[in-house]
Amino acid sequence: MERIKVSFTLNGKPCEVMTKPYSRLLDMLRDDLRLTGTKEGCGVGECGACTVILDGKAVTACLVPAPSVEGRNVVTIEGVGKEGKLDPIQEAVLKEHALQCGFCTPGFIMSAKALLDENPFATKEEIRRAISGNLCRCTGYEQLTTAIYEAAEELRKLNKTKI
Amino acid sequence: MITYEYRRAESLEDAASVLEKYGDTARIVAGGTDIMVQIHEKDKRWENLKCLLDMTYLENELRYISEDSENVYIGPLSTHTDLENSEIIKKYLPFLGEASSTVGSPQIRNRGTIGGSIGNAFPASDPLPALVAADAVVVLYGLCGKRSILLKDLYEGKGKLALRRGEFIREFIVPKFPEGTVTGFSKLGRRKALAISRLNCAAALTFGEKGEITRARICPGCIFIVPDRVEKAEKLLIGEKPSEKLFYEAGRAVSDVMIERTGVRWSTEYKKPAVEEIVFRALAAAAGMEV
Repeated sequence: MERIKVSFTLNGKPCEVMTKPYSRLLDMLRDDLRLTGTKEGCGVGECGACTVILDGKAVTACLVPAPSVEGRNVVTIEGVGKEGKLDPIQEAVLKEHALQCGFCTPGFIMSAKALLDENPFATKEEIRRAISGNLCRCTGYEQLTTAIYEAAEELRKLNKTKI
Repeated sequence: MITYEYRRAESLEDAASVLEKYGDTARIVAGGTDIMVQIHEKDKRWENLKCLLDMTYLENELRYISEDSENVYIGPLSTHTDLENSEIIKKYLPFLGEASSTVGSPQIRNRGTIGGSIGNAFPASDPLPALVAADAVVVLYGLCGKRSILLKDLYEGKGKLALRRGEFIREFIVPKFPEGTVTGFSKLGRRKALAISRLNCAAALTFGEKGEITRARICPGCIFIVPDRVEKAEKLLIGEKPSEKLFYEAGRAVSDVMIERTGVRWSTEYKKPAVEEIVFRALAAAAGMEV
C-alpha cells in the first residue's frame, strides 16, 4: 500500500514522515521516527504506556491513526526536559523512587505533564484522577502521586522566578 | 493484520459521498477509542475494511455544545472531556456530564466522542442512557439531506443502527427538562477507571410545588438489546414523594421489564438485584438522597 505523508509539529519542531496509511501514531513514532521512549503495552488503550500529548491533551498513541495528527502538535517523552536537563517531573520521579522496571514511566510522565501544564495547582486527588489511565505493575501509585505533587510545587517556584 | 486506506473528510458532503461509495467497506473514525481497538484485535467486522474515514478535521462544523430556549445542541465530535467540562451540560443535563466523566480514562475521554459512542451501537455506552432518558433526537446527514429521529429509534437491533447508506450522525438535539428537574446517573463497573459499564442507569425527576414527583424518566443501560426508557417504572413515581421504598419499587419494576424482554438467563440471579440497586441509586442521586 502506498505510503502517505504526514506533516505535524513534534516536540516543538516541524516534522514530515512517510508512513503506512494504517499506521497508528504509536507505530509512526517508534518505527518510522525511531522514538522508542513511547512504549507499547496493551495496544488497546487500557494501560497508558503509550501516552503522548496531542494538542495539549493526554492521549494513548495506540488509538490515534497516524495521519490524524496532520497539522497537529505532538509531544512525546523525548520532548520533555530542556537542554539535556530533566524536567522537574522526571527529577521528582527519581527522587521519590517512583519506578522499578520503568516501562510505564514515560506514560505516567506524559499524563502528569498534561495535567500540570493545564493546572499547576493540582491536588493529590486531581493527580490520582489524571493518572488513572496509566497502569504500573511494580511500584504502585503512592510514590508517583507524591512525585507529581512535589513536581507541581517545584514548577510553581520555577515559574515564579521567571516572572 | 487489517490494512486499509485512509481518507480525510473535507466537508460534510465529502464524508457522505465517501460513505455512499464504499458502503460497508468504509468506516468513520473520530476519536478511534473503539474502532482502533477492534482493528487491533482483528475483529471480524472489519475484515473487509477498505477505507477509514477520518472526521476529526470537521471540528469547526461538528464539535460544539450550544443551546437556545428549548434545546441543547451537541455536535458529535464533542469529546467526553468536552461534555464533562461544559457549563451548558452542567446546567441542563448534569447526568450526561457525569456519565461522560466515568468513561474509560482521561486519555480515552480526551479522544473519544459522543458521536462515536452512539454511532458504534455499543449497548454499554455511558452517555447513551442519559440521552435516551432526555428524549434526545439525533439528526442524520446524508447525500439526500438531513432527517431527525428519536435517538432510541436509531437502534434497530444488537449492534445495528437505522442508518441508510452514506448517512452519519450530524447532531444531537436534547430538549431541556421542565423547571424543577433534577437528574442522577449510576454505574456498576469492575473497577473505577477504565471500566466498561456492566450496568448503568440515568434518571430525571421533576418535582411539583408540594414536593411530589410530577414527571419521571428512567433509562437503564446495558440490559436491553435496544436502549429504552421504562415507562412502567416511571409511572409508579408520579404523584408520590421520594422515599427509599418508592425508589426500590421502581427498581423492581425495571427488573421485571428486563426479565419480560430478555427472559430468565444464567445471570439473572445476580443481575436482578444489581439492576434494582443501580436504578435505586440513580433515582436517589437525582433526589439528593443520601445512600
